[in-house]
Amino acid sequence: MAGLLTAVAVGLYWPGATLLARARWSHRAPRAAVLLWQATGIAGALAAVGAGLSVALAPLHQSVIDGLRSVMAQTRAGRPFQGLGLYAALGLQLATDVTIVLVLGLSLTFVRTRRSRARHRQLLRLVACRTERAPGALVLDDHRAAAYCLPGLRPQIVVSTGVLGRLTSDELSAVLAHERGHAHGRHGIVMLPFASLDTLLGWVPYARHAREQVAGLLEMAADDYAVRRIGREPLVSALLGMAGFGATPSCALGASSIGIPVRISRLRDPEHRSKHVAAWALFAAVAVMIVPVVGLLVR
Amino acid sequence: MARLGDLERQVMEILWAGFGSELTGRDVAARLPGHAYTTVLTVLGRLEHKGLVRRERSHTTHRYAAIETREAYVAEVMHEALEGTSDRDAALVRFAQTVSGREAGVLRRALERPEKGRPPR
Repeated sequence: MAGLLTAVAVGLYWPGATLLARARWSHRAPRAAVLLWQATGIAGALAAVGAGLSVALAPLHQSVIDGLRSVMAQTRAGRPFQGLGLYAALGLQLATDVTIVLVLGLSLTFVRTRRSRARHRQLLRLVACRTERAPGALVLDDHRAAAYCLPGLRPQIVVSTGVLGRLTSDELSAVLAHERGHAHGRHGIVMLPFASLDTLLGWVPYARHAREQVAGLLEMAADDYAVRRIGREPLVSALLGMAGFGATPSCALGASSIGIPVRISRLRDPEHRSKHVAAWALFAAVAVMIVPVVGLLVR
Repeated sequence: MARLGDLERQVMEILWAGFGSELTGRDVAARLPGHAYTTVLTVLGRLEHKGLVRRERSHTTHRYAAIETREAYVAEVMHEALEGTSDRDAALVRFAQTVSGREAGVLRRALERPEKGRPPR
């Protein structure tokens, strides 16, 4: 079982993630594709932890879950490593330590992100204002173009006067709808674990791909939200209008490998969304979860 | 809370208006009619705690000043919006990233030549 679980973990985090990152069908069902990325991440983690545990618990001749239960019972009885042998006990200790370090690392990046968001929110409260042209949004007085959604308990949409000056009112409505899509879908919260994982374990192919891809897929999901409410044309021309100027070398931060040209050509395809593809992606998400879960339950 | 937030903003405006000089709590309170001196001191204390205001003691009085200009804070916010924050977190979700030179070329061509399959307006 340890071999199978290891194969699943490595397979999902390396070739699996690379394949999924290359897939173009995901653009036709971005939200389902994000779910598949999430399922892949959880399934891989379960498989990896399960593989370690199943090696450590092998002397007990039980499934991982039952083995853990036995160890727990033994711990309560005061002899946690009974029947395990030295190497298994060390392995168990190592698996526990790695899990703790991972959880701590992720919590740390969560806290850092929260702090920098709080600072950003505080500064906005002091320097931004409101205007009738952009209802529901805070306006920053700056000639450069920026439109974004500051995630949080109450997500805040922000635009700069540079945007207000350059876009028609239809285009502006489309941009605001796109940002409301981010706020409505809680994309900041969806993104957080992926960003943390990449910061923590950037050398794992899954971590790198997932962050880039999910960032781009969430943009597409927000595009779809804006198209449903405002329409396709204003959004496309707003994207062109905002991306065409201030063209500096692209920065890597939070940026997605799915660029604006990809988003625009996607929106121009009349069949840019597909329920079929979404259904298959959801099916794949469930399927990906089954193997590691079974692996933990069966001996 | 919301009222305190508004007051923070007003106090900062006063400190920014006199940027370069330091004001006493009394100076600030005098420019905020309708607010008690103690309230103003509380707000100044909060702003100091948040790292937006510095306080200096001269003789018996405390003098307050904004640490950065208003423009510097706008620039900080814009920098995070355009470049992301330094510690590579997902603080913001942006509408459009900055575009590389190659991408800008693609976009310009797209602007000049509308693609087929574009639905009629």
